[in-house]
Amino acid sequence: MPATAQAGETIKIRSAIQHPMITGHTDAGPNVAPRKIIHTFAVAYLGAEVLRVDVAPGIAANPFFAFNLRARSSGDVVFTWIDDTGEVIVETRQLTVT
Amino acid sequence: MGARGMIAVRAAGLGSALVLAAFAVTSAAATPLESFAVAGDAIGTPLGGATGDVSRGRDIALDRGKGNCLICHRVPIEGELFPGDVGPDLSGIGARLTAGQIRLRLVDQSVVTPLTLMPSYYRVDGLRRVGDQFRGKPVLTAQEIEDVVAWLQTLR
Amino acid sequence: MGGLKVLCIAIVLINGQTIGTVAADGPFPDEARRMRSANEFLSPALRAEQADPIRNRGMLWVEQGERLFAQPPPPGGAQSCASCHASPETSMRGVAARLPAVDAESGQLVNLEGRINDCRILRQSLPPLDYETDELLALTAYLTALSIGEPLTVSIDGPASAFYAYGQQLWSERQGQLNVACTQCHDQSVGRKLRGDTISSAVPTGYPAYRLEWQTLGSLHRRLRSCQLGVRAQLFELGSREYLALELYLKSRARRHLIDAPALRR
Repeated sequence: MPATAQAGETIKIRSAIQHPMITGHTDAGPNVAPRKIIHTFAVAYLGAEVLRVDVAPGIAANPFFAFNLRARSSGDVVFTWIDDTGEVIVETRQLTVT
Repeated sequence: MGARGMIAVRAAGLGSALVLAAFAVTSAAATPLESFAVAGDAIGTPLGGATGDVSRGRDIALDRGKGNCLICHRVPIEGELFPGDVGPDLSGIGARLTAGQIRLRLVDQSVVTPLTLMPSYYRVDGLRRVGDQFRGKPVLTAQEIEDVVAWLQTLR
Repeated sequence: MGGLKVLCIAIVLINGQTIGTVAADGPFPDEARRMRSANEFLSPALRAEQADPIRNRGMLWVEQGERLFAQPPPPGGAQSCASCHASPETSMRGVAARLPAVDAESGQLVNLEGRINDCRILRQSLPPLDYETDELLALTAYLTALSIGEPLTVSIDGPASAFYAYGQQLWSERQGQLNVACTQCHDQSVGRKLRGDTISSAVPTGYPAYRLEWQTLGSLHRRLRSCQLGVRAQLFELGSREYLALELYLKSRARRHLIDAPALRR
């Protein structure tokens, strides 16, 4: 994502995360291994949630998301990924709006 | 079709055909192979006297764990997408080759064309570094070879 | 693109001079041929994805490798990678392009993974990393990415010549229940299809690569193992002398092709 934007401008944000997205389904059959996928991806801007994705097992490993965001004022964009083990990964990027 | 040289009979292949037949007879493999005789570029009689089943042969040919023919060949079956093109199109093969000729080409195509990429489906000797679970076993059984021969015969 | 054409002609000449013979075991003709870059076999969409550092998931491992390289060693470790290798962007550029190479002390053929593990054992007092662990893939991807755009320049002379010959022999002998040699597909059937996959010239500029089939990054040795599985052969160990010799052979054939790791591959 860009570090700066003009007020009212729509910016494109793209994210990718390293995660195996284990569905638990193998050649041996369905649900033979514990599922371990990222089930939620959420983005907050200026303290308010602007995007939430309920991720299904059909999503490939190392999921990639791209979305648009309208810049309003300077503040943090907070990315959160939550997986089946309860692990929460949070990344924060500063957006400066001029 | 003939341009790829798959069907062309090489004189050089015939000598090794006799050697192959001898190998098969004396094989000490875990699964003993049925003996067979190569005459010209064909094996005239069914392996082990088995009778081939057309519908089973079609299934074996398409099965990725058995014949897996489509990895290299196009076949005239509607809906079978993305065939390989390393080997010749099998459409009409039953009209171009006799059952005996098809049988030898499944058993060991390298008898006919020594540098072929096609696996020998009924052979356990003279192979290098075979995976443990496959050692001493042919790719297809005698019955399965006959089933595929029967099906290929119907492609005219 | 004009430059590419010139490059490819040069490669045919090199192959003609140095790889013009057939291994004792291999009856397969070894006609002079143009080694086609692996990228020629990618769709335009995949090529664009590979070139995009966000969409190319291999870059996740490059970032991880950059962190691992710079970070202080874990408890018990003697020093970080960066303690010896300052300014890796310049000091390590080109290293991946020269490997595998024969280690002067041991006389053994060592690839990048082996070099990393040698450093861990001898310099860092750390245990070696197993093949296909994210850590080893990450360090390998990071160091290889530092050589992006560099031509492969492995040596096959002197002490390397025996390893090269062994690699060439393995390449040209039939193996497995399906009784197929590497060269039968990757020299003699290049451009033809196995099912929906187009057979490539086996130019290994992109490894470790993000293979869509794997949905993860993987080493060149893992890729070699895939073909051995396909022909139902006994598998060599990842990091074995057999795969190392094949790695040298493949990289020597691809000399002057430019490193583009971590690449996307089918």
